[in-house]
Amino acid sequence: MIMMLPFLTALIAIGLTLRGRRMPSIIAWGFTFIIFLAWLQYHMTDKLNISL
Amino acid sequence: MDYSNRTLGMNGNSWSYWLNTIALLAVCGSLLEAFYWQIFFDELPCPLCQLQRVALTLAGIGMMLNIRFGPSAVHYAIILASALGGASASVRQILLHIAPGDAGYGSELFGLHFYTWGLVSFVVMIAFCAVMLCLDRNHLSIERPQLSVRTSATTHITKVVIGLFFLIAAANTISAIMVCQFGSCPDNPTQYLWKLWP
Repeated sequence: MIMMLPFLTALIAIGLTLRGRRMPSIIAWGFTFIIFLAWLQYHMTDKLNISL
Repeated sequence: MDYSNRTLGMNGNSWSYWLNTIALLAVCGSLLEAFYWQIFFDELPCPLCQLQRVALTLAGIGMMLNIRFGPSAVHYAIILASALGGASASVRQILLHIAPGDAGYGSELFGLHFYTWGLVSFVVMIAFCAVMLCLDRNHLSIERPQLSVRTSATTHITKVVIGLFFLIAAANTISAIMVCQFGSCPDNPTQYLWKLWP
């Protein structure tokens, strides 16, 4: 798992939007969102630091 | 139907343009504020903080698409999905520090930790989409080719905001490499794993 990857793909999506390429930008956003969800799942399955 | 007079700033649709610009500026402000604390107070972002930065950037892309190509339901869906993802990360971090006696992670701003402010920001974004989908309801189904008309009407102010957003996203990418290198981030980062300076 590479944490810098979603930042990089988001930067690519922004660059594509700047260049006026809407659909490739949305695809890059979708790719970034999938990586984001994978990272989120990874960090949300740790145990909570509370005693019940 | 003739859309040629529907360039930015010349009709009711300019509301959408400017409100999305202001929203993108707010996203830039949030990311800059996080950077300020990282650089001047040496508070390195934790993995969940990094994810909230990603979510803010993803939501900003939706706003940028609205500015660049005109309002679209797809663009607002992008903002909504990003805000929901970001809110999930914020809630997770709030829950991690919910136990009594837990000092939380990082500094506070106006009595709230940054991840709590993150949740507030993402909820505001969802409300923003609800309002904008009502305001833009008559402009959401315009055929894409017509929207390119607006591209040339992008104002200087918006260009500055979009440029700032791009620079912040680039800086965040470099920051993520410095804090985490090319792997997962440490749970509680205390020093840069890779430094641009000695």
